[in-house]
Amino acid sequence: MTIEEVAQEERAPVDRAGTEGGDARGRWAQEVMALARRWWIELLRERLNLVFSILQPAIWLVFFGAGVERAIDAEVIGTDDYIGFMLAGVVTFTIVGNGISGAMPLLWDKETGYLDRLMSMPIARSSVIVSRFVFQVAQQTVQILLVVVVAFALGVRIATGPLGLAVILLTAALLTMSVTAAFSALAYAVPQHGTFFAVAGFVTLPLLFMSSAFVPLEAMPLWMEVVARVNPLTYAIEAMRTLVLDGWEARVATSLALLTLAGAACLALGTWQFRKQTGDRTQE
Amino acid sequence: MSAVIETLGLRKVFGDHVAIESLDLNIERGDVFGLLGPNGAGKTTTIRMLTTLLAPSGGAARVCGFDVATQPSEVRRRIGYVMQTVAYRGLLTGRECVEIEAALYHLPRRDIPLRAEVVLEAVGMLPHADRRWTTYSGGMKKRLDLACGLLHWPEVLVLDEPSLGLDVQSRHNVWGYIRDRHVGGATVLLATNYLDEADRLCNKVAIIDRGSVVVQGSPSELKRAVGAEVVQVSTGEPERLRRAIEAERWVKKIIAGEHGDLHVYVEDASIALPAVMRLGLEHGINLKRMTYSQPSLDDVFLLHTGRELREVGAAS
Ligand SMILES: Nc1ncnc2c1ncn2[C@@H]1O[C@H](COP(=O)(O)OP(=O)(O)OP(=O)(O)O)[C@@H](O)[C@H]1O
Ligand SMILES: [Mg+2]
Repeated sequence: MTIEEVAQEERAPVDRAGTEGGDARGRWAQEVMALARRWWIELLRERLNLVFSILQPAIWLVFFGAGVERAIDAEVIGTDDYIGFMLAGVVTFTIVGNGISGAMPLLWDKETGYLDRLMSMPIARSSVIVSRFVFQVAQQTVQILLVVVVAFALGVRIATGPLGLAVILLTAALLTMSVTAAFSALAYAVPQHGTFFAVAGFVTLPLLFMSSAFVPLEAMPLWMEVVARVNPLTYAIEAMRTLVLDGWEARVATSLALLTLAGAACLALGTWQFRKQTGDRTQE
Repeated sequence: MSAVIETLGLRKVFGDHVAIESLDLNIERGDVFGLLGPNGAGKTTTIRMLTTLLAPSGGAARVCGFDVATQPSEVRRRIGYVMQTVAYRGLLTGRECVEIEAALYHLPRRDIPLRAEVVLEAVGMLPHADRRWTTYSGGMKKRLDLACGLLHWPEVLVLDEPSLGLDVQSRHNVWGYIRDRHVGGATVLLATNYLDEADRLCNKVAIIDRGSVVVQGSPSELKRAVGAEVVQVSTGEPERLRRAIEAERWVKKIIAGEHGDLHVYVEDASIALPAVMRLGLEHGINLKRMTYSQPSLDDVFLLHTGRELREVGAAS
């Protein structure tokens, strides 16, 4: 079949896609899945990247568990299950790390010009960021499940059981929404990737240390506790830690609600930056 | 009325640098319209405004009746844009690239595999479809970009230097393809540095230089306006030769080109050639070389700007 014959056969696909029945949500889903497919193929073809990123959190947990546990005062962290205590911290660490590495393809697209090609297509401006989010959530779910298996082998039992694990994954996904959107916004805002890494490196460690990832809020100096309490990472950590160590408690729901708010805010910020910073492209 | 692309006083300023002064274009359905000009003339800038990637600083542009500034998604849905530089496509295969973009154009899922094959075939990339993009040669990457631009049978095909970096064979294939699309009813806007490309493909061209249209019309019209034929004389003393021949009846116009060349526009080269030779001898001017040609678009550019397109292009 030649190109013209096909063209004849499928009359005016433009009109069909464009005006017929406002199935905007279906089109948006198609965009997000197509872009996510692209991210997946690339990840699967980078074997080393795949192996390291999947294994890394589990290795961290073993490292913390074996190495640091002895130096920790059970009184300070409020439990003698240090690995269980660290589980939430390691998951959060992983999410932040994924946020940085996850923004790299966006930086690439911007610097190599593929972003222009994407922007010349009739896609929603949020699709690119959301596709990254979908991709990251899928990737980190695998990472978290692996870390939980390792923790199980080291003797950690999640207090809330399998359902608790599902809520942990949900919490992780909510935090990922904030982190992905924030780093995507940064990727689009910077003039060059060098700036991105400088800024990302500068904020990451303070963000992690000013949360309850390694030290419980109660054990912090006051000023640090104040900072930690407005840090969205803390909500994710508190929720996950409670689910692992203590069981179902009301503060889990509060944390999830606050995380949702933070996620929505970051996504709005990310999309706004995306529109503003991708050249002076025409706005939607 | 049947204008597919219409611009009125379109303008783009980068900081204090005026890239596009004020552009009026009128491209009709079925046109193959060439934007011709040296490096930095503003071709890409114009195209990026028309493809909604750059917001105009002034004026207005409509594509298929939709304003690029206020109805960008309508415009995007109707254009196929092939960029000047090839897009980086990482670790994907050619087929995957095409299929993913087909989905981004919202083609129905079941049509995508066939459509991907058809466009890959059209640019001769089907045999290489399942190789990774990173293993492609420069020309193959360009052809893949072209395939992607065709995916949704755009009403308007916008090509920025479509044959940049292609070998002769592929250039001819791409030209053949552009002509087919034209026959198929698409409107084509193409930017190019290659005069022969514009000459062969376009039924209309606009020559732009330093952000303004110098002249526009059909290639044959423009060339007719130059004069019937061009005699190009190379000599060490172009000024003396000019004075020797400028009074002659058969001389329509003389323009000095680079390297001491004179471009003499004449009615009939077969009469002018011996006459130039005779006058040169009479005045004792040493003529190094003499050629004559039908006027080309290069001559059109020279006539309107006083500079040679090739020279300007090579210089910057
Ligand atoms: N983002 C930008 N910021 C500042 N100046 C720019 C920008 N983009 C283009 N220009 C300037 O605008 C002018 C026109 O550039 P443009 O890319 O449109 O040229 P062109 O005709 O496509 O040239 P070429 O044949 O080299 O592709 C140039 O002087 C260029 O330096
Ligand atoms: Mg250009």
